[in-house]
Amino acid sequence: MKEKLETLLQEAVSELSLLDSEESLQGLRVKYLGKKGLLTALMKGLGALPPEERPIIGQMANVVKDRLEEKLEAALSRVRLARKEEKLRSERLDVTLPGRRRPMGSRHPITQVIDEITEIFAGLGFQVAEGPEIEQDYYNFEALNIPKDHPARDMQDTFFVNDSVVLRTHTSPVQIRTMLKQPPPVRVIAPGTVYRCDSDATHSPMFHQIEGLLVDKGVTFADLKGILTIFVSQYFGAGTGVRLRPSFFPFTEPSAEVDIACVMCKGKGCRICKNTGWLEILGSGMVDPEVFRHVSYDSEEYTGFAFGMGIERIAMLKYGISDMRLLFENDLRFLSQF
Amino acid sequence: MIVTYNWLKEYVDIDLSPESLADLLTMIGLEVEGVHSVGGGMDDVVVALVEERAQHPNADKLSLCRVNSGKEVLSIVCGARNFKAGDKVALARIGAVLPGDFRIKRSKIRGSESFGMLCSEKELGLAEESEGIMILDPALELGIPLFDALGLKDTVFEIGLTPNRADCLSVIGVAREIAAKLGKRVKYPEFQLKESGAAITEKASVKVEDPDLCPRYTARYIGGCTIAPSPAWMVNRLNAVGIRSINNVVDITNYVLLEYGHPLHAFDFSFIGGGTVIVRRAGEGEVFTTLDGQERVLTGSDLTIRDAGKVIALAGIMGGENSEIRDTTCDILLESACFAPTAIRRTSKRLGMHTESSHRFERGADIQVLPSALDRAAGLIAELAGGTIAQGVIDVYPQPVEPRVIAVRLDRIAQILGVGLSGDAVTEMFRNLEFSVTPAEPGVLQVTVPTFRVDIEREIDLIEEAARLNGYENIPVTMPEVRLFSDRPSRHQRLGRRIRDILVAHGLSEVVNYSFINPKSLDRILLPQDDPRRNCVEILNPLTEEQSVMRTSLLPGLLETAARNASFRLLNLHLFEMRRVYLANQERELPDEPVFVAGLMSGARDPEVWNRTTEPVDFYDAKGLLENILGSLAIERLKFEAVEPEPYFHPGKSCRVYSGEELLGLFGELHPTVQENYGFEKPVYYFELNFEQLVTFSADVSSVSPPPRFPDTFRDIAMLVGDEIASGAIVECIRGNRIPEMEGVEIFDLYKGSSIPAGQKSIAVRVRYRSNERTLTDEEVNRLHQRVVANLQKKINITIR
Repeated sequence: MKEKLETLLQEAVSELSLLDSEESLQGLRVKYLGKKGLLTALMKGLGALPPEERPIIGQMANVVKDRLEEKLEAALSRVRLARKEEKLRSERLDVTLPGRRRPMGSRHPITQVIDEITEIFAGLGFQVAEGPEIEQDYYNFEALNIPKDHPARDMQDTFFVNDSVVLRTHTSPVQIRTMLKQPPPVRVIAPGTVYRCDSDATHSPMFHQIEGLLVDKGVTFADLKGILTIFVSQYFGAGTGVRLRPSFFPFTEPSAEVDIACVMCKGKGCRICKNTGWLEILGSGMVDPEVFRHVSYDSEEYTGFAFGMGIERIAMLKYGISDMRLLFENDLRFLSQF
Repeated sequence: MIVTYNWLKEYVDIDLSPESLADLLTMIGLEVEGVHSVGGGMDDVVVALVEERAQHPNADKLSLCRVNSGKEVLSIVCGARNFKAGDKVALARIGAVLPGDFRIKRSKIRGSESFGMLCSEKELGLAEESEGIMILDPALELGIPLFDALGLKDTVFEIGLTPNRADCLSVIGVAREIAAKLGKRVKYPEFQLKESGAAITEKASVKVEDPDLCPRYTARYIGGCTIAPSPAWMVNRLNAVGIRSINNVVDITNYVLLEYGHPLHAFDFSFIGGGTVIVRRAGEGEVFTTLDGQERVLTGSDLTIRDAGKVIALAGIMGGENSEIRDTTCDILLESACFAPTAIRRTSKRLGMHTESSHRFERGADIQVLPSALDRAAGLIAELAGGTIAQGVIDVYPQPVEPRVIAVRLDRIAQILGVGLSGDAVTEMFRNLEFSVTPAEPGVLQVTVPTFRVDIEREIDLIEEAARLNGYENIPVTMPEVRLFSDRPSRHQRLGRRIRDILVAHGLSEVVNYSFINPKSLDRILLPQDDPRRNCVEILNPLTEEQSVMRTSLLPGLLETAARNASFRLLNLHLFEMRRVYLANQERELPDEPVFVAGLMSGARDPEVWNRTTEPVDFYDAKGLLENILGSLAIERLKFEAVEPEPYFHPGKSCRVYSGEELLGLFGELHPTVQENYGFEKPVYYFELNFEQLVTFSADVSSVSPPPRFPDTFRDIAMLVGDEIASGAIVECIRGNRIPEMEGVEIFDLYKGSSIPAGQKSIAVRVRYRSNERTLTDEEVNRLHQRVVANLQKKINITIR
């Protein structure tokens, strides 16, 4: 009996070593350990043994069973691992096929630039202000120290609705409306749509500006330089050169045009900057006392600065767009790139 | 304003290169927009001597020349006939590049080699027209570059002047700025005037009848002039700044205009009736022909120069044909006057006449420079046209203008600039600008501003001068010290951003259309004649009819954009625009400008990909999008109703959206006629929401509840109903049972077709039950559900399947 058990185990182990599939290993389990298996069959002869041998043989049979189970499990996990590895070897996707994309839209580049610039100034504590696009001549010109019959009106080709109503030519009237509504201090940024009757590769009859105004006690030209320097480094990158040079706007004095080092050539001189190394990006200055007079602010007590920039110009510089009209053609092949 | 480097150097010592000078000008506020070199890069055009001129062996009209370039003797083929051996000529050597990027190469012409080209004035850019080649002064040195030899090498600066700087509309004015910045003095032109013969008062007289428009009028009489071409130096100088030479006298008035910045006018004296000049407003409707040949109808506010019988000039704008300088002119009356800016501007605007003269008078002329400019021009006329200057000058100047005296406080300078400047520094800067400065009380300077600076009227103007001369680059960079406060973005901003984000996430691209539209587009979207949206704000001076009225709807712009994209074969269109419309308001002068959100969807729902079939968008895509937006804004009492469709919608496939009774917007399939009008073959879905309404009715954030702790159970009802019954009514009826355990009702199947009786549809509804306190038993759910079904059968004519 003992020999038979040992033989059975040996036979089973040697048979097992030849098998390499889960099915055949399960078959082997049935053949030896199943209810009608060889071990069961062998154990039926247990009763024929003398009683004192029975426990010994019985225990031995359990050992054989455990050994065989152990071997089977090991073989099974080997086979399963081999099968998994084989599967991993054979399964291959063409990862270069395009993905199944959900449709994505885009915000218009003008909106994006407005949002980005607004965000920078919001971080500096500026509040967003708005005003009408169809505006009184008074707010668009008179209150900004641009009287009728003044050559400064030639700086802005105006669309008229009637004698006293125009399509605003700049976002500056929002300065006036804001100051009329509240006492100082004022810290606002006013993005908006403006209009001038002019149309070519660098002018559109409708375009966008963003206007900033800070009025308080002790606000100086040096502070204007500070705010604009911060803005330029935030928007165009730290270390971007900035220069202010004298200019003229009827509603600021002293006035300054602000140039940044050309973003294309880094100031070396190229076609974009007309070989000057500088790009004009905004106009600015200290609020003219005449403007304060129109809104009844005491210009001896309060000082302030204002600045304004063209969104399209900034978008064109940022994205390397050479024709402003592209921004208004709304060609989806263009818009989908933003 | 165009000035040249050499011309500027006549009035101020400049030891800067043209490039550095351009930078200096830009940094003091005279922005140099262009720098061009004249004769630069033309060093290969040299003075050469024709040693021999022979007939070309193979061409009758050409000659073969031996030309000495100073370095070598070259064989050159030439087609001109106006020269001979011994002439000095302009030779473009091989490698020279002439204007128009014309490169001189070695060439073979009819079998003879040519090693360069003999040039004409035109080929060198020295004249617009010329005949034959340029024959040079024999005294010119052989071999030196032609432009050096002629003294034509120069640099031209184009200055973009701001409208306040009338004083810089002249070479002297620009020189003054350079001198001020460099701390130098301007060398004003020096000349001596030789008067002789009769006194001017015996020849001519001037009566200013409207001194309010003409505060000063000066004149001189120059007799016996000969009108002739100007000398080369004058022609070249005018040419360099872009002015064509006409004749000596006209050129002189132009020259002095550019030099002093003051417009002059020369009259042919023989055409001034009675020798009397009258300065007076025109008669209403008076007709006058200006020297450009145009007939002008004048009004009573136009100032004229006239004699007893007729108008002879439109003051400060343009002279008259009847008294202009012509070849036969002999005696000249030269005018140097000052006119009121606004009057000049009104007349020049009304007549559309923008001249060098009106440009300067509009901006303000220097009333004190008049006699100098007059004398300068008279002297030049005597010199170049051989005239005799009558003795004396007419100067009608009833109320002499005193220079302004303005006080400037040093502490105010610091208050504005953020940096203090010393009294000495400011005084020196102002003196460099030719202002005189006297100290008043401590910390205050009394500044007398010369009359040429018409832009300086107030203390702040002087502060700007100090900042400008000091250099903006020398003002420190500081950050404002302000009180902190918090102000988060407004609801408008936040909700606007949220809506844009949702639209973009749904695959819609934002477009920005012009706010003005073609009024005809309102026909194309089928708005009835009495629709209030026909009442557009009109632009008086539109660029085109297509951009002549302000939009009252975003639809026309979106349709045009969609049609344009479709013309590029982009047929899957998912667009939106979120901007203002302009609605006339009877009660206010200005229209309302509410923001609308509108979008347009057509074509495939998803982009086509290799492993996905796409389906066309439909009504329910548009509705789902709106449901997401309105859900995200937590709009309360949301309601969709298919009532009173807008004319541009398909009447059976469109809908209005309400919050309670408040209209929020509309959406649906566009009317087939509208689609046809814009050339669309596939259905186009459109939505528009009034953003202002959304902001008003948005709860901003919806209330939330924790996830349920007990499982749900559902029961389905499959039924047949008449086509006319809206599914919404069935859902409402089920909800109407107000069973607290009823969590949701959803339609999960809809079918119409062969197995369903005509005029009916099959609808399947799933009703979900859940309790927050325990797990519901089947019996409880069945009891609730039986109530629901019974109620439904009672209220709506359905057949349970």
